[in-house]
Amino acid sequence: MARTTLFLLLLTALWSCAESSNDAASISDSGTGTGGSLARFTIVGNYLYTVDNTSLHSFDISQAAEIKPRETIYVGEGVETIFPLNGFLFLGTRDGMLIYQILPGGLPQFVSNYQHVVSCDPVVANNQYAYVTLRASGCRQAGPGAADLLEIIDIRYIQDPQVVASYSMDSPFGLGLDGQTLFLCEGAGGLKVFDVANPRDIQLLHHFTNFNAIDVIPLGSLLLVIGPDRIVQLDYSNIDDIKVVSEIAIGV
Amino acid sequence: MNKTTLLLFSTLCLAWLASGCINPKVDIPEQVAGLAPIYYDGDWRDIAAEPARPIRELFKIYYKDSILFAGESLQGIHVIDNTDPFYPQPVKFIRIPGNSDIAIKGSTLYANNLSDLVAIDISDLDNIRVLSRVENAFPGNGAPLPDGYFGFFECPEPNMGAIVGWAEKVLERPECWR
Repeated sequence: MARTTLFLLLLTALWSCAESSNDAASISDSGTGTGGSLARFTIVGNYLYTVDNTSLHSFDISQAAEIKPRETIYVGEGVETIFPLNGFLFLGTRDGMLIYQILPGGLPQFVSNYQHVVSCDPVVANNQYAYVTLRASGCRQAGPGAADLLEIIDIRYIQDPQVVASYSMDSPFGLGLDGQTLFLCEGAGGLKVFDVANPRDIQLLHHFTNFNAIDVIPLGSLLLVIGPDRIVQLDYSNIDDIKVVSEIAIGV
Repeated sequence: MNKTTLLLFSTLCLAWLASGCINPKVDIPEQVAGLAPIYYDGDWRDIAAEPARPIRELFKIYYKDSILFAGESLQGIHVIDNTDPFYPQPVKFIRIPGNSDIAIKGSTLYANNLSDLVAIDISDLDNIRVLSRVENAFPGNGAPLPDGYFGFFECPEPNMGAIVGWAEKVLERPECWR
């Protein structure tokens, strides 16, 4: 009897092992995921915030089975991206960046804005600085005087964002930040990796030109690079030796 | 549709296309942000999980719990198991007509389904369920080019079906603009 029980236990253990290894892709029922810098949807707490061309929408998603639309704020023409950080929402717009604070009830309230000439520009940020790319190349709405730039904006005093430095780029699209490392996509021009420890003197560490990069998602040591023809995964755990991990082909 | 109406309609379509496409304008760029039509034939509210298939045209991606969600332009989401980043494995395709953006909380995927916002339970990819829907959450997804839009767009192809909206896209050497 004891032997049979032991055998059954062993069998059960083996079975559960087999099952868990077969079932690798499972989604956790907690937490939120990560989007790229060109995202227009973002979740903070029990709220989903979305932007369309002219508006910032907020939805109460505390119960998935009953989404409650809360507020639609007209924020002006040309809203392109949304990035959340520490209770703030950074909106990339055609003529700059808008900062909203999420009030305790979940609704966003305008805090400040930073304006520049009309171009195409997502934004990412950390506690001290916001990084905005301005793309004039191939940007349909680009205004006179628009240039291809990376701008670093001091947001420590969030009511009054100030430009710290501005760098010429080729045709910047999406960007991603991990600590002091900034990943910047330049479309057909590839991917640039910068050390941004000193915002007034950023250092180009690498420039990958063998793939087309539109947006990135940094995930701690793994970087997802999205281009029109493939998704490239890079291991950047050693920033001096970034390696291609795999590629997923698109359109083949 | 009778013949006169059809003729009128075709003429209008041609005129509209001509006004967009035949104006001499700036150099055509290699790559440019613009708009592309969303075609749909059938019930665009019909959301379902389908077998994995190759990605034809990538839009945006999203990442959660070692799963990569790759948006196929306005068609839906490719679900790719990235537990081993050296060997990403396609798992499913979630058909969401007119989709352009997603975000995930827990095992609920929030997505636009054309102009509606939907919450989809993806805890069991073999049995996804729409939990709720906010109709017309994102108004303005009309068939004509958005008001005040001047720029490049992907030329409509009549055999692609009904144009149910327009979405932003990075275009390569676009041939239409207004």
